[in-house]
Amino acid sequence: MNSLILLLILVFGGALLSYLLNKFLPILRDGFVVLLMLLVNYVFFTMDSATQIEFEIGGIHLQWAFSSAAFLFGIIVSILGLLSITYSTAYMQGKDRLGYFYMNFLFSIGSMLGILMSRDLISLFFFWEIMTWSSYLIVIYSGKDVDKRGLKYIVFSAIGAYSMLMAIVIIYGFTGSFLLTDIFDSIFAIKASYQLAIAILLMIGFGVKSAMMPLHVWASGAYSGSPMSFTALFSGALSKMGVFGFSLVLFNLVSNQNWLINEIIAWLAAITAVLATFYAVIQSDAKKLLAYSSIAQLGYIVIGLASGTYLGVMAGLFLAVLHAVFKGTLFMAVGAVEKQAGTTDMTKVSGLIRKMPWTFTASLISIIALAGIPPLGGFVGKWMLYEALITSDHYYLVIMVFLSSTAAFLYSYRILFGLFLGQEEPEFAHVKEAPLPMLIPMLLLSGISVLSGTFPGFILEPIQNAMVSFGFDPRLPNIEWWQLSVLFNSWGDKVVLQNVMISITAVFLIALTLITWKGYKKQRYVTTKDISSSGEIIQAEDNMTFQIDFYKPFERAIWPLLKRKIDDYYTDFGNGLEALFDLVKRIYNGNGQFYAIYVMAFLALLLIAGTKYFGF
Amino acid sequence: MNTILFQLSGALATILLAFTVGMFYGGIRRKIIARIQNRVGPPIYQNFLDVIKLYSKDTSIHHGAMQHMGPVFAITASITSLMFIPVLNGDGWFWFKNLNFSGDLIFLVYMMVFGSLGMALGAGQTGNPNSAIGVTRGLSQMVGYEIPFVMSMVALMAQFHTTSITGLMNIQMQENTWLMFSNPFAFIAAVLAMLGMFHYSPFDIVHAPAEVASGPVSEFGGKYLGLMMSSGSIFAFVKLTLFVDVFMGGAANLIELVIKTFALYLIPVLYGVVSPRYRTEQAITYFWKWPLFFGILAILWASF
Repeated sequence: MNSLILLLILVFGGALLSYLLNKFLPILRDGFVVLLMLLVNYVFFTMDSATQIEFEIGGIHLQWAFSSAAFLFGIIVSILGLLSITYSTAYMQGKDRLGYFYMNFLFSIGSMLGILMSRDLISLFFFWEIMTWSSYLIVIYSGKDVDKRGLKYIVFSAIGAYSMLMAIVIIYGFTGSFLLTDIFDSIFAIKASYQLAIAILLMIGFGVKSAMMPLHVWASGAYSGSPMSFTALFSGALSKMGVFGFSLVLFNLVSNQNWLINEIIAWLAAITAVLATFYAVIQSDAKKLLAYSSIAQLGYIVIGLASGTYLGVMAGLFLAVLHAVFKGTLFMAVGAVEKQAGTTDMTKVSGLIRKMPWTFTASLISIIALAGIPPLGGFVGKWMLYEALITSDHYYLVIMVFLSSTAAFLYSYRILFGLFLGQEEPEFAHVKEAPLPMLIPMLLLSGISVLSGTFPGFILEPIQNAMVSFGFDPRLPNIEWWQLSVLFNSWGDKVVLQNVMISITAVFLIALTLITWKGYKKQRYVTTKDISSSGEIIQAEDNMTFQIDFYKPFERAIWPLLKRKIDDYYTDFGNGLEALFDLVKRIYNGNGQFYAIYVMAFLALLLIAGTKYFGF
Repeated sequence: MNTILFQLSGALATILLAFTVGMFYGGIRRKIIARIQNRVGPPIYQNFLDVIKLYSKDTSIHHGAMQHMGPVFAITASITSLMFIPVLNGDGWFWFKNLNFSGDLIFLVYMMVFGSLGMALGAGQTGNPNSAIGVTRGLSQMVGYEIPFVMSMVALMAQFHTTSITGLMNIQMQENTWLMFSNPFAFIAAVLAMLGMFHYSPFDIVHAPAEVASGPVSEFGGKYLGLMMSSGSIFAFVKLTLFVDVFMGGAANLIELVIKTFALYLIPVLYGVVSPRYRTEQAITYFWKWPLFFGILAILWASF
């Protein structure tokens, strides 16, 4: 049997089966979904790269194939899918409608794999819609303010879907084919204005999923409102489908000479990154914070892709993989806090580090990777992005990225401090470490963050294969992945990752040994109430927590930027439409007398105009 | 084996040099401030005595692992940045080579924030609200001064088509000029950013003695404070050497290095000693006015 079909049957069949299992044999459900995803991973990673299948439905020629770009994004989907499903088995414990949840979960994994494998626009659109719907059904799973979050998500997804459909129709009208290979060959023959229209329409379609400004307003609500186990996949993998689509458009449908599109996209992405970071800084709910931070990180990815240089695209794709890794971990960690402590509101919960040390470790590593601090993987991506932008003369874009990533330190610290550090409150004294099925995925993912900081080769190789399929020349030295530790920019400057790692580890270990060894036995632990406070003695009931208005001075400094949200513009647009409809309603007011006047007026107008211009 | 020993001893010598120079500069600063305020002031070796005293004291409490590791993060960042910064130019003194050729400016900019973040985490675990307030101030201010700083760095990289520090130094050697004259706006923006980087008055909002009781360090005493003081001295040397390398052509020998770094060091010290402290949002927006303007000019200068 063709392993492509097998893969899709496995996921989609498994989705339906898990629904039935939940009905009749709920005890087997958790084991089943994990085993299923293991099997999916096995099939995915053993798949022959030449696998493809063609068939016809209703006279339309469809083609599914396995490309190297599909493999790159497929790695994210299948591994993150497996880990987040494993996490789900503990995280969703005791919640109802689990059949519904797992079915939609598996549907979205399957549809993502389908998107990656479709080589024609019809099946791409078909799987895209399944992905939208299955994720929508999970967004509204909790049932809380569905009309606000759910509606926003589905409306924006619908806008994206319609513009995609329009683009598909235009493409078919000109090229007479839905197959991507045909389209890539003939797209440059059609008129430039139509090319532009196609590109913009497709960008809107993909831009919605990758939360690009001004299409991002759904993301914060949808990310923070779904169960965290799904959000890990939602932000980590599902948004990458937008990135995958972007790469299709930018490298295959837009000619390289069209730098204007690239510039506009890059600047939109940069503004997205800066504003979303600022919003993330002022959030006080950890979920919301991570949601905005996801929007910002997707901005970096798109900047990298839009820069169009070898290093830039590599940086974008590397950050795409890394974002799935560390943001997946962070959403899982926040989910663990939510599960164990009952809330993710950082003004309430604090000081969990001693209760949940492993969750803290995983979040710490992921935050270091997110902030792009050496020696972890995030730094590799950031370094490549900066170098790519500088060497391709995008100086002001570099500043935007830098502003955004420096401000990202603020929310990075905020989330660690808010949840894990700070005063230990007695009301959270009962909190226990998260169960193993939740811990293991987090720790595995943070292991990838660490490994990719020194040995990025194992991610860079599949990326390079994907880039070759986009038309870039391979530039990585032809060595094994664990030997690749020196990164070059196009001016020949370099960073040697292994030296960085060795230096940091050596100094850290020596300093840690010295400071621990000196007076180790005499030191004892004291609580967070036992602190210096200018001579006052702090009582157990005194509130020494500092969590509210955490970055107030910063907020004051950036206030002019945050005064108006994009959301407001949409609300204004909605209000404007309502006013327009109001006007229409006033004209068509249902009164027969008025209609008679309209007819008379129209006739009079016709008469005047007719005698004047047409002479009858 | 010989080369590893050679490298290790070079690294140790560099650390010792940075530590000594940084400590003396701190002492001189205390002396200068005292003289301007019409006091006698401590002797300039006072900082050495302080560090020795702090190391020899016993520390009997800790607030947990993260607090324990905070100062370690700080010194890791200082020493690692030091390893990647060329101390002397050309073949100057080959002993100080360390890891100069393994990283570039972008790496260094990131490496330099590593320490403050680690320190911030350590301060966070103590649970002292003053520490957390100090940390939020410091991070907010960092967003302020990093922007003009990076703009001036980007301007230099764009002008000379290299991102490595050694590359910039070689260009200065070849053309026999200093980059502060080749791109004066970049130098102005960088120096204004340096005022914030040193956290001296008027930008001393992080430690602000009368407001947040010395902020992040308020729960650190004894060996922790000693480690942090050492780290701070090394880090001051790192920052000054970076500026000398990039803008003033580096130094051929240690005496030249000391003269140049000290001249630069006087700017934040003398500016600070006559300026009262800013409020936090003023300290952020300060850098988004004239420094930012000069940064934009620097990039324009570089690209035309």
